[in-house]
Amino acid sequence: MRPDRLPLAARALVWAVALLAILVMGLPMANVLAVSLSSPGSSESPGLVLFPAEPSLEGYAFVWGTIDLWRPFLNTLYVSAAGTVLHAILAALGGYVLAQPELPGRKALTSFVLLTMTIPAELTLVSIYAVNKQFHLVNRYAGLILNGAASGFSILLMRGYFSAIPRSLSEAARIDGCPEPGIFWRIFLRLAKPGLATVATLELIRRWNNIAMTVTLVSDMAKTTLPVVLRWLLFEMSTASGAAYVYANAKMAAVVISALPLVALYAFAQRFFVAGALAGSVKG
Amino acid sequence: MPGPRPRSIRRYRSLYLLFLPVALYFILFSYYPFAKGIAMSFQGNRLIGPKPFVGLANYREVLADPDFLRAVLNTLVIGLSDLVLYFALSLFLALCIAELGSRLARRAVQTFAYLPYLFSWSVIAGVWILVFDQRGIVNAIGGLLGAEPTFFLAEPGLARPLIIGMGVWRSVGYFALLFTVAITDIDPVLYEAARIDGASRLRQIASVTLPSLRPTMKVVILLLVMGVLTHFDEMFVMQNPANRTRIATLLVYVFDMGIVKFKTGFATAGATVVMAGTLILAGLARKALRYDEA
Repeated sequence: MRPDRLPLAARALVWAVALLAILVMGLPMANVLAVSLSSPGSSESPGLVLFPAEPSLEGYAFVWGTIDLWRPFLNTLYVSAAGTVLHAILAALGGYVLAQPELPGRKALTSFVLLTMTIPAELTLVSIYAVNKQFHLVNRYAGLILNGAASGFSILLMRGYFSAIPRSLSEAARIDGCPEPGIFWRIFLRLAKPGLATVATLELIRRWNNIAMTVTLVSDMAKTTLPVVLRWLLFEMSTASGAAYVYANAKMAAVVISALPLVALYAFAQRFFVAGALAGSVKG
Repeated sequence: MPGPRPRSIRRYRSLYLLFLPVALYFILFSYYPFAKGIAMSFQGNRLIGPKPFVGLANYREVLADPDFLRAVLNTLVIGLSDLVLYFALSLFLALCIAELGSRLARRAVQTFAYLPYLFSWSVIAGVWILVFDQRGIVNAIGGLLGAEPTFFLAEPGLARPLIIGMGVWRSVGYFALLFTVAITDIDPVLYEAARIDGASRLRQIASVTLPSLRPTMKVVILLLVMGVLTHFDEMFVMQNPANRTRIATLLVYVFDMGIVKFKTGFATAGATVVMAGTLILAGLARKALRYDEA
């Protein structure tokens, strides 16, 4: 036996934990998917369902067509996409300015940004509501897009990417007479693309799944987002008087529709998800 | 040598101009609400129009409200359980993943464990009501082991464990990913040296892997401590009249008072107390972890 292998009992434990983790994570997801693809009647049969007994798309048709889930879906898509673009632009601008080593007042500006990170937005929801009311942003998409348009975290992340770009590149461009916006746009932004993708990915996840800010700013069901409508569908629709009974297949179809876009994105852009996760754990 | 002076002044001016949108955003949507919240906490309960100054009355009332005290208890029980379980289980999972001999198995476990972190709390709630339903998987497995079927979601006594379980299911893979990457970054020379000294694999985990993970552990603990008092979404999603008293946390209380009942002075006083608590907790944690030293 090689000296750097674990004893047999420990190796068995490691594999048991791995298997258990896959089952605990995977079985519920498979269960949800199978139930969502079942007919209304068969979706409520007991036990562990991993394959639909009576395959059917009725659940999807019901939530999409009858309950009009397309509306919150499009709302979420619009608010998340627009908000993410805005957030990425402000992160790039702020990060670029803070990355200029000889800019007078850079330290003060950095503290101004850092200070916003000490108070999580969740703690100021009531005053955020009051302020947005004052700005006429309550119950409007613009409110959901504007709130969260910048974050100290993303700005500092972009500052890190910009600082890593060799200064000789911008100096050379400046000597060649390239204007400042051109230097920002053509040199820095292009080289910091992975950083921008990481910031955008993180922000998209945050916005797609956001609940606290949405329920604070929007009470109009026609303008709200998927997580809020999904909650209503899961817990309140069946108990509302006069509403139709919602079968498990429909509930789970709505769950799948809510979760699938990010899972699909993850499949294509995994490295940005990982980079984003790590960015949050760099000690600073 | 820097360029000619007029040019660099022009350059700085354009940089300040680039920063302007960021500054405006933070002033209007970060600093202003923060200051307004503190001001509102000393004023009467009105959302618009002139508000009378009431001094510390809101604070006195909040701190004497049994619902607030219950929210403190709920927050601490759920928040601290989350902290301990997220940390211990994700570290353990990452150590196990690192010891898996097959690259494919490592990736499979990591991917499956990470996926729930992409789900909103409403999605997780949907998974939970299916799995813990009277006819769901958990009761099916329990039945095989001879247990009576339980309607988990209707048992008030199980409300807290279920919420904590949701968080664990969602977050363990994410924190395990942080540990896993840190483990991959450990210099192989350290293991080589330990091996030459005759250390067994278990010994290597104890004296190379774990000490090398200390910086990551500090970051994870600090992230978790900052989150203890700010749990909101999962309680908001799962709350119903039956389980409210057991899972309503401080932020749910604040939301309820301020956004639902429009008792804004009261709510912002509560929020200010939570804010102070978070700053104190984070400060204590930084000190205890000697976070700012190495």
